[in-house]
Amino acid sequence: MLVTCGIVLALAFLTYVLYSDALLRYAVERGSPALREVLRESGMLSIAESADSRIQTRWMVGLALLISFVGILNAMVMSVTERFREIGTMKCLGALDSLIIKLYLIESMFQGLGGTLIGILFGLALGLFEGLGIYGSETFGLVPLLVLIKIVTTCLLAGVLLSVGGALYPAWVAARMQPVDAMRQEV
Amino acid sequence: MSDVLEEESSAKQEEEERLQRELLFATHIVRAIDVSKTYYLGAEPVHALRGINFSVRRGEYVAIMGPSGSGKTTLFNMIGGLDKPETGRVFIDEVDIAALDSIELAWLRCHKIGYIFQTFNLLRVATALDNVMMPMLFAGMQHSDAQDKAVALLERVGLGKRILHKPVEMSGGQQQRVAIARALANSPSILLADEPTGNLDATTGLQIIELMKELNESEGVTVICATHDHKMLDLSDRIAWIRDGRVERFKKRSEITITEGRADARE
Repeated sequence: MLVTCGIVLALAFLTYVLYSDALLRYAVERGSPALREVLRESGMLSIAESADSRIQTRWMVGLALLISFVGILNAMVMSVTERFREIGTMKCLGALDSLIIKLYLIESMFQGLGGTLIGILFGLALGLFEGLGIYGSETFGLVPLLVLIKIVTTCLLAGVLLSVGGALYPAWVAARMQPVDAMRQEV
Repeated sequence: MSDVLEEESSAKQEEEERLQRELLFATHIVRAIDVSKTYYLGAEPVHALRGINFSVRRGEYVAIMGPSGSGKTTLFNMIGGLDKPETGRVFIDEVDIAALDSIELAWLRCHKIGYIFQTFNLLRVATALDNVMMPMLFAGMQHSDAQDKAVALLERVGLGKRILHKPVEMSGGQQQRVAIARALANSPSILLADEPTGNLDATTGLQIIELMKELNESEGVTVICATHDHKMLDLSDRIAWIRDGRVERFKKRSEITITEGRADARE
C-alpha cells in the first residue's frame, strides 16, 4: 500500500511536470494572439523561451524519479522482512529460488502498474487544472494527442521499470535466504 | 595363492557390504550416520550435533524428545533437507543429501517430505484450499488436478465444509488440519512434525495426534515428530532422547513406561 502511494506521488509529479511543460511550449507556438499577449504580459513567454527553464524541468523530473526509486526500494525491503516466515515456509514446501524472485517481481509490477496509472491521472488532472487557470478554454486543444500519448507512455514505462528495478534486490535477498534462517525469525 | 584367496575374500566382503547397504536402504527411510554440525555464534563454536547416529524405518512413527539446545532442531532440519551435515552422512529415502544442490534439495522437500509446524505457518491471505494446493503447484501439477486433490485431502482431514475459509477464520486445531493436508499434498514418504501440538489445547492436540497416527497407519507415511506431549509418545513406535548433540536412548514404545508428564526408560 505504502509502495503504491509512493509511486502514485512520484508519477503524478512526473506527469504534471511533463504535461505543464508541454502546455506552455504549445501555448507559445500555437496559441491565439490574445493568449500570446497574456503570456507576454505575465512574463511566461520569456521564461518558456529561456534555456534555464528546460534544464530546471529536467532536474525536477530526475529528482522525482530518484525519490520514487528510493521509496520503492525501501518499501520492498520492508515487505520482504515482514514476510520472512512466509518465504521460509514456501521454501520448506519446495519453492525454488526462481519462483520467489518471480513472485516478488510480478507483485511489484502490478503495484507499479496500478500506482503509475493513478499517478498519471492525478498528474494530468493537476496540469489541466493549472492550465485552465492560465490559458483558459484554449487548454484542451493546445497539446496534440500524439504528444499527450507520448507523455503518458513515458510515465507508464518509467513507473513500471522503477518498481521492478526497485524490487530486484529485495527479491534476490528473499530467494537466497536459507529456509532455516527464515523460519527462525520471530516477526 | 594366498593373494588370490585374499582378493576373493575381499571381493566377497565388498559384495556382502553392498547387500547390507541395499537392505538398509530398503528398510530405512532416514539414516543419519555419524553426523556432526557446528554453528558459530560470533567466534564461539556451538556443537549442535556431535556424531549422531539415527535411523528410522519405513512406515514407522518416531518421536524425538530433548530439551531445547539439545540439537533436536538441527537434526530435524537435516532430516528435512533444510540443512547439510558438516561431517557424516544423511540419507533420506536412499538419497545422500550432502550431494544435492539447492534445486535438488527443493525437489526433495517438495516431493519426499511434508512439514508440520508448531505455529501452523499457513499463508494468511490464502484460503485453506489455496494453502493445500500450493505445494502441488510448486511440483508443477495442473491447476485442476491440484484443486481436486486438495479438496479430497481437506475432506480427509475433516475440513470438507471449510475449504474456502481463510486461516484467521479457523481455530488452531482446524489450522493444523489444513497444515497436515498441505503436508500430504505431494504424497510424501515422510511427515516431519515439529511440536505439532505445542500451540493447541489438550483435546484438540489429541485429535491432531490421532489424525497423524491414522494417516501413518492407513497411508503408510513415516512420521517423525519432535514433541514433549506424553499423548504423542504413547502412540509412537519408538522414542529417541537427544541430549548434547547425541542420541541418548532410542527405545521401543513397549520398553518404556509413560506416566503423566514424564517419560522414562525402564532401567
